[in-house]
Amino acid sequence: MFVLAEKIMKQVERFIPMRHTDIRELFKFEKTPLNILVAFTTFVFLILFVIGATNYFIYGHHAYGVTREHPWGLMIAMYIFFVVSSTGLCIMSAIGHVFEVKVLEPFAKRAIHGALVTLLSGFVVIFLEIGHPFRMMIYNTISPGLTSAIWGMGVLYSLYLIFIVIEFFFLLRHDHKWAKRFGIFGLVVGVAAHSNLGAVFGFLVARPVANGIYYPLYFILSAMVTGCYLIFLMYGFKYKLEFPTEMQKTLVATAKILGLLLAILLFFEIWRMLTAIYGGMEDRAVTALHILKSAPFLVGEILLGIVIPFLVILLSNGKAIKTMVFASLGGMVGIFFMRYDLVHDTQLYPMQTLKLTEYQLPPSFIEYTPSMNEIFIALGAVGIAITLYYIGDKILYLETDPD
Amino acid sequence: MARYGMALDYKNCINCKACEVACKEENGVQLGADKHRIWVGVKDVEGLWPNISIASSTFEPSQCQQCENAPCQEVCPTQATHYAKGGIVMVDADKCILCSYCMEACPYDARYVKEDTMTVDKCTFCSDTRLLRGETTTACQATCPTKVRTFGDLDDPNSEISQLLSHRQHFTLKTHLGTKPKLFYMI
Ligand code: SF4
Ligand code: SF4
Repeated sequence: MFVLAEKIMKQVERFIPMRHTDIRELFKFEKTPLNILVAFTTFVFLILFVIGATNYFIYGHHAYGVTREHPWGLMIAMYIFFVVSSTGLCIMSAIGHVFEVKVLEPFAKRAIHGALVTLLSGFVVIFLEIGHPFRMMIYNTISPGLTSAIWGMGVLYSLYLIFIVIEFFFLLRHDHKWAKRFGIFGLVVGVAAHSNLGAVFGFLVARPVANGIYYPLYFILSAMVTGCYLIFLMYGFKYKLEFPTEMQKTLVATAKILGLLLAILLFFEIWRMLTAIYGGMEDRAVTALHILKSAPFLVGEILLGIVIPFLVILLSNGKAIKTMVFASLGGMVGIFFMRYDLVHDTQLYPMQTLKLTEYQLPPSFIEYTPSMNEIFIALGAVGIAITLYYIGDKILYLETDPD
Repeated sequence: MARYGMALDYKNCINCKACEVACKEENGVQLGADKHRIWVGVKDVEGLWPNISIASSTFEPSQCQQCENAPCQEVCPTQATHYAKGGIVMVDADKCILCSYCMEACPYDARYVKEDTMTVDKCTFCSDTRLLRGETTTACQATCPTKVRTFGDLDDPNSEISQLLSHRQHFTLKTHLGTKPKLFYMI
């Protein structure tokens, strides 16, 4: 298998410059405690993935904690988590290499690599969620439901994948003209795909707490925030916090943009909650109040996801880029909760409001706990993303060339 | 063109659940509390003891509302959910990819996952069982001891359901969502 992989890599090298074509190189890394910890965790995650996926193939959706009342669970949340990351990185990359904001150019290639990796990880997760993925490919094509946001999502994300692969290819070849052209396509389709994913929820007339324009817009905004966090994490890890001067400038600029984005996001959240609660429309207001009092929202989404990174930026004027790496780690945990809550909260309010048996209590908020298999696959997908990222980092030149 | 609907004289319901059983039997719905095409909702009595209104305790039999503007059909990515003859919303099991989007979108929690085909299923007004055999009633209607249910063609002014709806006041569930349900609850 190794020989075959090497042969393929040698062929690829004819088209794009590579750092290594020797597979053995992949297993060599500096044995610092942090590197060993990351490698070990990733390995454990990958094993968990195999266990989770195997159980899914044997037991189907029974391996998951989803129910009739709560048909979407952690898998959908993870899928959104990854594709949001992808769009965010794509947008951040485009600011540098498509719109030529010079100070943000250094991470263009690495960000697109991240976009590709997270998109593929997202696809792995959704493959294990959709009941009949192969049937989906067939009937999405020959019997398209044009009014369906999921159909639109399938089409747009497929196009997005194609465009960013081509964009990445040209970026690696230092062909800026074509990279830019495909960068524009990738950006437009990516933004369309992603806001459309927001519309998957926004279109639900049955769920007043999600219904409306909020999610399609919020998805783009929070995607950009995610992109910034991931850039901090990727470079924080790469340079082990000892950033060269050029990179410092880039990261300070990124932090300033992030500060603005977080302020807008906070503004969005406040108005979402106020409009949902105001007027006391039964299903929307009660659900919003329930969300407002929940720990994942307050600690996860607001504190970790927005407030802490925002304060770090605000108090240091964007200069505390080392602290920002840690804040970004917390930020990504917050982002995870944003995705999880968005899926769960949409389904909180019961659709049948009468009890079905005589001695049952009246229906209350729908509960859902992810099963072990779902958690295994979710962590496993993180493992897949780290592995793919590591492989790309090892064999490709991900720094933007000096010109 | 027929346009099928059902009128429910729900105040006559005694919550015997014969309809739930008949539906499972006729349409091969699997056992298990989660697996149901139709159900009977129990409305709590109103008032504080001892001033309890006995009349307020009613039962509300329900199922897929066969919406004329069905959110489940609108969101289906493969057209598995479609409007079939008589305006009945049906799921084509061969096309269903089990994305569960329709289960999210249905405001009435009328859909569930059928285990043998691993696709989404719901009430079909018995159109692929009894109606196909030429019968004119649904299983739930035929079995109901207190004659709660009247199934029929809303476009035929002489049908029993049209007659009933023309002289009895009625309401539909979650009307404000604009789904245009075809299950009518008679007051
Ligand atoms: S009640 Fe639900 S399943 Fe039935 S047609 Fe309406 S939206 Fe579809
Ligand atoms: S679960 Fe099946 S019927 Fe429902 S929306 Fe998806 S493909 Fe359509």
